[in-house]
Amino acid sequence: MSLFVHYLSLPYLIEGIWFTVVVTALGLAGGLILGLVLAAMQLSRFWMLAALARGYTVIFRGTPLILQMVFAYDALPQIGLKLSAIGAAGLALAANEAPFIAEMLRAGVLGVDRGQVLAGQALGMTPALLMRRIIAPQAIRTMIPAFGNETVSALKNSSLASVISVQELTLRSTQLASSTFDFFSIFFASGLIYLVLTAGVSVIQLFVERALDLDRTTPQGRLAIFLPWRRVDLATKLKLAEQAPAAAEPPQSPSPDVPAPSPRPASRGDRAKHSAMVQRNNVAVEVTDLRKKYGTQTVLNGVDLTVRVGEVVALLGPSGSGKSTLLRCINHLENWDSGMVRVGGRRLGHRDDGKPLSPREIANERASVGVGMVFQQFNLFSHLTARENVAGPLRWVHGMTRVDADRRARELLERVGLSHRADALPRHLSGGQQQRVAIARALAPNPSVLLLDEPTSALDPELVNEVLEVIRRLAIDDGLTMIISTHQVRFADEVADRVAFLSHGSILEEGPAHEILTNPRHPATARFLSVVDADKSPEQTA
Amino acid sequence: MHKRLSTEARTRQSAVIAGLRHAMLGAFLLAGILAPISAHAAPAGCAALQAKYPDFKGKTLVNAINPHTPGYEAIDPKDPNKYVGFDIDLGEQIGECLGFKLTYKAVTFAALLTTLSSGQADIVISDIYATEERAKAADFITYSKVFDGVLVAKGNPKKITGINTSMCGAAAAENTGFVEVPLVQALIPECKAAGKPEPTLQLYDNNANCIQAILAGRADTYVNDVNTVDQAVKANPDKLEKAIAVTIPYSVGIAVPKNKPEFRDAVLAALIEVQKAGIHMDLLKKWQLDVNNFKEPDILSVK
Repeated sequence: MSLFVHYLSLPYLIEGIWFTVVVTALGLAGGLILGLVLAAMQLSRFWMLAALARGYTVIFRGTPLILQMVFAYDALPQIGLKLSAIGAAGLALAANEAPFIAEMLRAGVLGVDRGQVLAGQALGMTPALLMRRIIAPQAIRTMIPAFGNETVSALKNSSLASVISVQELTLRSTQLASSTFDFFSIFFASGLIYLVLTAGVSVIQLFVERALDLDRTTPQGRLAIFLPWRRVDLATKLKLAEQAPAAAEPPQSPSPDVPAPSPRPASRGDRAKHSAMVQRNNVAVEVTDLRKKYGTQTVLNGVDLTVRVGEVVALLGPSGSGKSTLLRCINHLENWDSGMVRVGGRRLGHRDDGKPLSPREIANERASVGVGMVFQQFNLFSHLTARENVAGPLRWVHGMTRVDADRRARELLERVGLSHRADALPRHLSGGQQQRVAIARALAPNPSVLLLDEPTSALDPELVNEVLEVIRRLAIDDGLTMIISTHQVRFADEVADRVAFLSHGSILEEGPAHEILTNPRHPATARFLSVVDADKSPEQTA
Repeated sequence: MHKRLSTEARTRQSAVIAGLRHAMLGAFLLAGILAPISAHAAPAGCAALQAKYPDFKGKTLVNAINPHTPGYEAIDPKDPNKYVGFDIDLGEQIGECLGFKLTYKAVTFAALLTTLSSGQADIVISDIYATEERAKAADFITYSKVFDGVLVAKGNPKKITGINTSMCGAAAAENTGFVEVPLVQALIPECKAAGKPEPTLQLYDNNANCIQAILAGRADTYVNDVNTVDQAVKANPDKLEKAIAVTIPYSVGIAVPKNKPEFRDAVLAALIEVQKAGIHMDLLKKWQLDVNNFKEPDILSVK
């Protein structure tokens, strides 16, 4: 025991820790840099880069670290690259860690919800901006535990540097054992030192997780993480947090934060007058002979559609009829095979010289043309509060100052009746509230056209109305130009100037909303309307 | 690494392990007794050598060692930042004669010559046996004869009498790259012919692990340099014994890169001076090694 304590405090072993830590740090830092490059190559659009990165991964993940160490130390000098022992060990460890770290990074990036990426694109964010503001912050949170693992494993793997004469803890322990014969005392001592080091890594990991925890609340909670029951507590807390908004809003009574129903539902006559008036307005969106195929399947088969400023057009049609694809083309979230899309007189999708745009150029085009989009699944940025969901893109894409962006976010959240939930994370909001934030976010840059892709389809029936009410007010009070794909026939009748009925990628019938919905000329339209009426009647209480 | 592993190289190492308190005490006493002898002035002929080989004067060279062999090279238990032993002293005497200083790079035994040939070290003085096979990787200046001892558990339960058919069915612990490895392997057909089970080999990284293998009952014998075996027995007199000493037809050598004949010749000339001045013999006594180990130097170099 006294020998054990003697070796535990022996400066010779303690100094060995320094080499262990240096090799580990070199390995992790180099591995992170190399891993970032590898992950970027694997995620890139260019297959050659992806294949090169794959090849590297196969080689360096598939051979033992001890061979890589010996190679870096003894073989590299043959080509004139003579690194110090620590340098060679750090290089080998970095080369070995890189593929593992790259896979972690890739998993983190791919794990971020595709819908949020789509929403970011729709807001005009360039790929780099998306990576920095949306993907990376979420991916890093999910990667912290894996990084902790990797750090511990690198720390232990650094002991292999003993074969190439790095004076780290393991080498010093074996040398000491050989000269003193105190085999067990020495190895228990160095084992304990390793344990202390890895425990240190665990503590750092917990601190980082805590610091990045979006649900962090009180300063007391910061220490509570070290208590074993804390984890259970955290899980329950999350569950409670999710239930909270639902409990606060009994579905029967109108909840306090739902905007008051429009005091004066526009009369049929008013709507007709409005429709007649917008027909004299300028063209906001013009789609000409748009065609698109996925493989052999035709999704858009020559669509023509003109929407004028201030007009509200409802797209109806069965699932798979091409409504969503048409909306995505109007925002250039999808490419098309032939045809033309003009927004505000500007033709989308090609440079002046006719070449296709890069993703970055498309993003800038979207931001400048001004098309807002609301998705079926809301697609809020889940790491940002309601306010930041609205204000963030204003700052990043449109260069607004923080003060201006926050003011604008407050106004818009107020307009959708959610100013009291501005600091809530999306996961603490109900579906209806999330969709209202998404509408506020889409409206923030003052788009010339707002596209809504089945905005209420993912909502529980009792939450549909609060969202429809917000859209109704945008249409009637604000006169916003909107294209809505929806199954809410009665709602379409109330707010839309015109209805277009899509089937198999073509517009079968279009015209004044009330006329088409009450008196369809095409048999397919009639069939669809009767089916939807029967199916959807419980939801059509608006 | 593999080159050495498969060959007959032979080495010696001495190891010792195991005895916890005894050895500690012994090492302290040993070091205390020997300390005063270590300061030798450079022999008279060295000035002429420094004039003849001026390239090495004032340099600091790297000596690759496998410091697991107390008596030859191991860290100093009193000050673990220092290496001590016969080889260490001899190397420093040669360095003093030629005007260079040595720093040490600790590697596994099997990595000694790779480290030298990759240029990560300039010289290897680490109780390594000079064999024809190893001389393909480095030139050797031999300086010591080799006597091996057969280490077994107390009472020699397997009745082992050397590297012969008495080892059939026994488990032999050896260090990777040791010359004893192929000698034991050569017994396999002999044992088969005699209708006995084959001997098995357990390969380890250093003496300490080989001796632990016998103490833990995993191995029956460990054949190595007799001084190493003696020290192991001294450290664990209740558990180990030396079955027998055998002579092995090799010499211990200093390894230098093949492409530096001038350095090789300078080291040879310096070693001769050190021996003429009686320092070599003093060092053997200082480290309590058998003076019969003494050998006049030769060069072993193969194309």
